[in-house]
Amino acid sequence: MVYSLGEIMVQINDLNVKEKSQWCPGCGNFAIVGALKNAFVELGIEQRNVVISSGIGCSGKTPHYLNVYGFEGLHGRSLPIASGIKLANDRLTVIAEGGDGDGYGIGSGHFIHIMRRNYDLTYIVHDNQIYGLTTGQASPTSQLGMKTKTTPNGVIEKPFNPIAAAIVGGATFVARTFAGDMNHLKTMIKEAITHKGFALVDVFQPCVTFNKLNTYDFFTKRVYKLQESGHDTNDKIKAMGKAFEAEATNYEKLPMGIFYKENRPTYEDSLPMIKERALVEHDLGGIDVSSVYEDLM
Amino acid sequence: MEFTCKIAGQAGAGVMTTGRLMIKCFTRGGYNAVGYPEYPSLIRGGHNTVQIRVSTERINSPVQTNDVVIALNKDAVFYHMETSGLIIYDQLTDISKIKTRAEVKMHPIPLSKLTQEVGGTEQMKNTVALGAALAVVDYPFDVLEKIMHDEFDRKGPEVVKMNLSAAKAGYDFVKNNNIKSSKKLKPVSNDRKLVITGNEAITLGAIQGGVKFYSAYPMTPATTILHYMIENEKKFGLVVKQTEDEIAAMGYAIGAAYAGARAMVGTSGGGFALMAEMLGLAAMTETPLVVAIAQRIGPSTGMPTWTEQGDLRFVLHASQGDFLRVVLAPGDVQECFFLAAKALNLAEKYQIPVIILTDKHLGETVFSTETFNHKKVKIERGKIVKELPAMPPMTRWKRYAFTEDGISDRAFPGTPNGIHVASSYEHDEHGFSSESFSMRTKQVQKRGMKKLAALLSEIDPPKAYGASAKDAEVVLIGWGSQKLSILDALSLLEKKGIKAKFVHFNHIHPLDQKTAKKAVHGAKVTIMVENNSSAQFAGVLKECACINMDFHLLKYDGRPFFPEEIAEEVEKLKKAGYKGQKEIVIMEKDDLEYYQPSKYGL
Repeated sequence: MVYSLGEIMVQINDLNVKEKSQWCPGCGNFAIVGALKNAFVELGIEQRNVVISSGIGCSGKTPHYLNVYGFEGLHGRSLPIASGIKLANDRLTVIAEGGDGDGYGIGSGHFIHIMRRNYDLTYIVHDNQIYGLTTGQASPTSQLGMKTKTTPNGVIEKPFNPIAAAIVGGATFVARTFAGDMNHLKTMIKEAITHKGFALVDVFQPCVTFNKLNTYDFFTKRVYKLQESGHDTNDKIKAMGKAFEAEATNYEKLPMGIFYKENRPTYEDSLPMIKERALVEHDLGGIDVSSVYEDLM
Repeated sequence: MEFTCKIAGQAGAGVMTTGRLMIKCFTRGGYNAVGYPEYPSLIRGGHNTVQIRVSTERINSPVQTNDVVIALNKDAVFYHMETSGLIIYDQLTDISKIKTRAEVKMHPIPLSKLTQEVGGTEQMKNTVALGAALAVVDYPFDVLEKIMHDEFDRKGPEVVKMNLSAAKAGYDFVKNNNIKSSKKLKPVSNDRKLVITGNEAITLGAIQGGVKFYSAYPMTPATTILHYMIENEKKFGLVVKQTEDEIAAMGYAIGAAYAGARAMVGTSGGGFALMAEMLGLAAMTETPLVVAIAQRIGPSTGMPTWTEQGDLRFVLHASQGDFLRVVLAPGDVQECFFLAAKALNLAEKYQIPVIILTDKHLGETVFSTETFNHKKVKIERGKIVKELPAMPPMTRWKRYAFTEDGISDRAFPGTPNGIHVASSYEHDEHGFSSESFSMRTKQVQKRGMKKLAALLSEIDPPKAYGASAKDAEVVLIGWGSQKLSILDALSLLEKKGIKAKFVHFNHIHPLDQKTAKKAVHGAKVTIMVENNSSAQFAGVLKECACINMDFHLLKYDGRPFFPEEIAEEVEKLKKAGYKGQKEIVIMEKDDLEYYQPSKYGL
């Protein structure tokens, strides 16, 4: 949601914090934080009206590194927290951050159901195809054959396809981007925030320490932009085709950009009790339950 | 004057609805009433009963025997041969194989035929039975007529007419054939009382207490809180969300509370097991949260529709780490209402998780009660700030600032200059992750000991009922819903000439040592009465207040204590000079093999 700014202008500096980052030098997460800041500035979203909810893992630390409201919750649970925040105050810009292990592994149940509900919030998944914070185990999106601490003979489980799952699951905005392409990353985040409804942005986010396969170089050679190749984002069937392209080409061609987009009423739109004012703005003064007593007699 | 009637039939036959209508009939006539349901975890078939006990005296609990049983099927006749004075059953029921007892009067009535004659569906048999039950005690029909209009007018005149003619058919048949209980009941006053379950009382109390957000995953016996919240959603402007699982339910509530709405979840033990990690998240982020837990039999799936008090230790200790929480256990529907509102206040004032612990018995039994004096509920939201001075660049607000009482100001997202991170990691005053040893120690003290010192003033002392400590030869102690059985046991003991005192705890944790000790001070004999197998609260009292029980009276078969059982065991103990085994367990002597009547040739 875009706010009218009045005299307030958000500047990049306002979004900085002095705390030192705990991420490894070169981590793809720096780009995501940078893109978020730029997106807020360019969209003119006042920082006090933004909440970032995260899970646990390297991605979970995101709320600490930019000056907006944040909630760093539990592993895999960024979506339920973000949903509760949105329902309580739908006037806020709510962004959920997850990782591939966090969001597509332990928290996958929430992912499936939030798409049906279509809350107006943005879900950014830091997809590095590895468990980083626990020092390098296979994740749900680790490529077949990749050797990790828990798969010394190579991954034998088929990787989860978040793009296809999101299209099937009913997400109204499905995009993928790459932390090595700052401009594209920022554009996707801006599009996702502006989209009214649930928006998934899956970010190829190289883990420089534990994933030696899916490196910046790996992606730079393989990614191409859907929006530069005439892709129709309204066509669900074509979007599904694109969602399987990486798999079909043995990860040689990796489409990125907006796969699919549709307009559908949000969950909040269907709640008459928050139409006039957000739930948190309701007056608690005049409640009188005695009006139901007659029915109980 | 007291009368007990049980309606029994198969699940799906509408027994519960009928029971509630009958309670309303008697309550409108000035009687006190308890409607106790028993049902298996089935949607159709099985054996459902509701016992309606009414009295001109104050009553709180179901009892073992019935004046009348209305048996809607064969099983219902079979099961109640030992516990009824009069059994009214459908004359189509073949009871030839059931051993009847001379003391039990048997009255077949043409339930199915009467139902068909008025053009009613199979379910309408209940309504015919309801009419019959009222006629048996000569209760005036016009009370029911008025209630039928109140309940069914909105469904159209046809529905009202159908229900009324069904009830009248049963009523007239019983009258015309001179079927009578030994008791006659007439309306005694025009007092208006509520007819309400514990779950509904918690819901209303929470709404009066300002709950704005409720999330849950359906789980017996807490589901009716969810239903009743949704029923009231639009009227009171609530957002109620059924989530994909209990983890999400608690996540939603924590998110909503963080954003500034009063939030609550409801579940039973199994769902709470899934929520355990989230409970610690609320504690670590100092997010106010109320959790209503209606206990059922465990472990695991257990017996989903039967009562127990077996989750006390679980809720006291759930979630990793060491943190402050409050556990409240209401003893009746009035306490459900006011403690639900209080829970919301405590959660926000102290920024901690608060648990309301009930069980299937209190949650789903229907009680008559005086209207809740809702004006007594005052909403106290604690330290919330709406305006803050500007911060230097690149700094965040001290959401977790150290204070005298451990409670820091809260600012909701949207508040200018209040930006901070709420983190599940240990953190500094700004909310930034910290592994500093001194910060860790200080934050633990802030969230724990400091808040506790302030919180203790809000912990109500246990309440005493019955004889004074000086006069009482025995002191019964109970927590939560045990109040219902023990209060009624006190009246029975009085009739037996045994002077007993009852000490009831509804503020379970934190426990105030001083008031707990004072409440049992001078007791000659102490008996803890609990619906679990390990006397969990007796253990808590010993641990937290150095109070030792002489006896534990325990029952864990799925039903609450019947007051007769408590009185009988106390009488036995008295005869033995209050000596004997410490653990006394109530166990059904002759189990009727609940689900296998075929074993008895039926």
